[in-house]
Amino acid sequence: MAVSRVTLQTPAGVCGLFRRQLLQPSLSHPTILSTRSIYGEYKRPGQPPDKRWPWEKIRFDFSKGVEGIQKHFGLLKDEFVGRLRGPEGRPLLDHMLEQTLVQWEFRGPESLDQWVVSSDKEIGGQSEAYLKLGKNNTTCMLYGTLCSVPPRDGETRYSGYCTLRSKQTLLSFDRKRHFDWSTFNTLYIRFRGDGRPWMINISAEMYFSHNKNDIYSYFLYTRGGPYWQEVKIPFSKFFLSSRGRIQDDQHCLWLDKVNNIGFTLGDKADGPFQLEIDFIALCIDRAHTEEFAYEKFKRNPEVP
Amino acid sequence: MKITRFLMRTQHAGWITLFVKTPIKPSCFHAALLRPPIPRICIGQEARWIHCGSTVYKDKPDNSDLSKLFENETKAKSLVTHDDLFERTAKDAKNKASFNRVVDVFNKQDIRRRGHVEFIYAALQKMPEFGVERDLAVYNKLLDVFPKEVFVPRNFIQRMFNHYPRQQECAVQVLEQMENYGIVPNVETKVLLVQIFGEKGHPVRKYQRLMYWLPKFKHINPFPVPFELPQDPIDLARFSLTRIANDLDAKITVYQYPSTDVTETGEEVTQPHIVGIQGPEQISLLAKHNPNRPVFVEGPFPLWLRKTCVQYYLLRADLVPPEERVQDEPDPELVGPNQCLFYPWQIDLDLSRDMGDDFSYDVEDVEEGPVYAMCMAGQGDQATLARWICGLQETNPILGRIPTVFRLESGSRELQTAADVQHDSGQNSQSGSEQEHIIEEEQLHSQRMKQ
Repeated sequence: MAVSRVTLQTPAGVCGLFRRQLLQPSLSHPTILSTRSIYGEYKRPGQPPDKRWPWEKIRFDFSKGVEGIQKHFGLLKDEFVGRLRGPEGRPLLDHMLEQTLVQWEFRGPESLDQWVVSSDKEIGGQSEAYLKLGKNNTTCMLYGTLCSVPPRDGETRYSGYCTLRSKQTLLSFDRKRHFDWSTFNTLYIRFRGDGRPWMINISAEMYFSHNKNDIYSYFLYTRGGPYWQEVKIPFSKFFLSSRGRIQDDQHCLWLDKVNNIGFTLGDKADGPFQLEIDFIALCIDRAHTEEFAYEKFKRNPEVP
Repeated sequence: MKITRFLMRTQHAGWITLFVKTPIKPSCFHAALLRPPIPRICIGQEARWIHCGSTVYKDKPDNSDLSKLFENETKAKSLVTHDDLFERTAKDAKNKASFNRVVDVFNKQDIRRRGHVEFIYAALQKMPEFGVERDLAVYNKLLDVFPKEVFVPRNFIQRMFNHYPRQQECAVQVLEQMENYGIVPNVETKVLLVQIFGEKGHPVRKYQRLMYWLPKFKHINPFPVPFELPQDPIDLARFSLTRIANDLDAKITVYQYPSTDVTETGEEVTQPHIVGIQGPEQISLLAKHNPNRPVFVEGPFPLWLRKTCVQYYLLRADLVPPEERVQDEPDPELVGPNQCLFYPWQIDLDLSRDMGDDFSYDVEDVEEGPVYAMCMAGQGDQATLARWICGLQETNPILGRIPTVFRLESGSRELQTAADVQHDSGQNSQSGSEQEHIIEEEQLHSQRMKQ
């Protein structure tokens, strides 16, 4: 008995590798071709890899094609007509003179379609988050329960987050539409919470695909109580992180191609939470001249 | 992979204890291991195990505590050793002293500090249990477990590659736990890390990152909450009410102190605390309230102060419909800072300087009813809150004429027992004429429920 255990367990690396190759020699597809391995998509621990060929994921359907043509050509027409009216579909004078811009407001049920709610259920956790309209249908209420018990998959060490994130807006033929906020320097949010700290995440489009996990974040502290809170956060304070880790060499957020904004809760206090957002806007703070709040010079000793 | 490695290691340890203790002769032991199908790596490892085993059984007469521990270990035949070390050494009390004692015991156990990585991982997991997760000295003591100057790279090749990766990962994990609990390391931590891993190891890098970011974000919260919240419920209520009221002029009144009385029949009556806050603006708003419209006591609403949740209640009214709104005239006696004394009071000038100087936001305002007062109470039942309303009437006499409706969520009602309710209703009838309007509203409330 003991001997058999030795043969199975002792040569950890060698025997394990060998066995894996022996027992699963017939991989149906070479892994190099799947987009997952190219882009390093997040795979939930314990989930089998998606081994379908790319064409197996496409739904060939005639009605879907007709719908797509209607939708995309409609969007294309809107684009052209809007361009005639002025930049971004607004008159030129408005565009040139604007000092503030309300980017997201919650005035009706259709405004909730621009947002995605997610929680750590995706990685096997137990938090719950829901989105609904506020009492008089003019605010957005994000509520749920936070639970920071990590899933028992042997890999995940931390858990417990809830996120509200705006959807990527799309132009015709599924091109990404970016927000150009380069004329503004401050984010303005009107909200009320329950005393928990939140985090604001802004992701911008970069040139290289390895920058797609880059997120610029800053904190949003709520006071709690029945009164609304108005917060101005300069974009210069946002710091760069990638996959949840603050990066060593920081750069300021480039505001010309912003993709989406998100709110994350992960303060490890288990229990119910709520955040009510009135609107999210941008403004120009003439008194704020800082370009970037963190050091950009080479540090000594230099961190590689 | 890391975890599998760890499991393998623990299984090995268990296998040794099993194997060595069973009375098998060494000859057959070797014969079993030297069979053809086993790769040669096994043999080397096996030799190391035996060596390890011999050190484990080395008797140390100078430390009776340790020898006792080892005796226990031999009896238990357990697989995981370090968790047990914590459990056994700190049977009676789990505090900082016992945690430090466990670390000391491990340090004296073996001069080579064998198994210190596993020990540190186990200690990190046990730290919240011992209540030392926010103690910098304990983290420094844990880092002190690493042997000094062994893992420092000596030439450029070692420096280029990941020298002693498991030990470095472990130290980084210690620092990461410090980061998660928001503890800023100090110079002692740096000296230790430099001694153990050299100037440019990964743990020192992590230390540098912590020292860069943590002090930046340490005092960033505009509404700071102390780590140790006040124990007294009245102080806690005072703190949280001033936080949510956001009004420096607001006055806090303690309507009722917590007390326990024994009545004639012998049963104990606990009076919950009631602490309220009201600002001068709220008083003037309430004075203008139309007495025909009811005010509402709503709640409980949660407020999080770090990891504790407290509940508060509001006295508020519904939004006044637009036809009833009164445009109040500006007070001629009141001279604001930007009003000129030589001009008529109301100057109707368009002061916008340019076409683009419109700094307002293009959204409709969210309109909500006014909040008149806030309170926190030890119990969330209707009788307690009615006592708060009674107390409010001293500063707001209009409340006696306004019907009050209680809109309490059912969650808090379930907590109280039936006996409490009966007792509270008895108290209500005693407290006299002031309670009449409240009883009225209870009827109103019940009518609402019927609708």
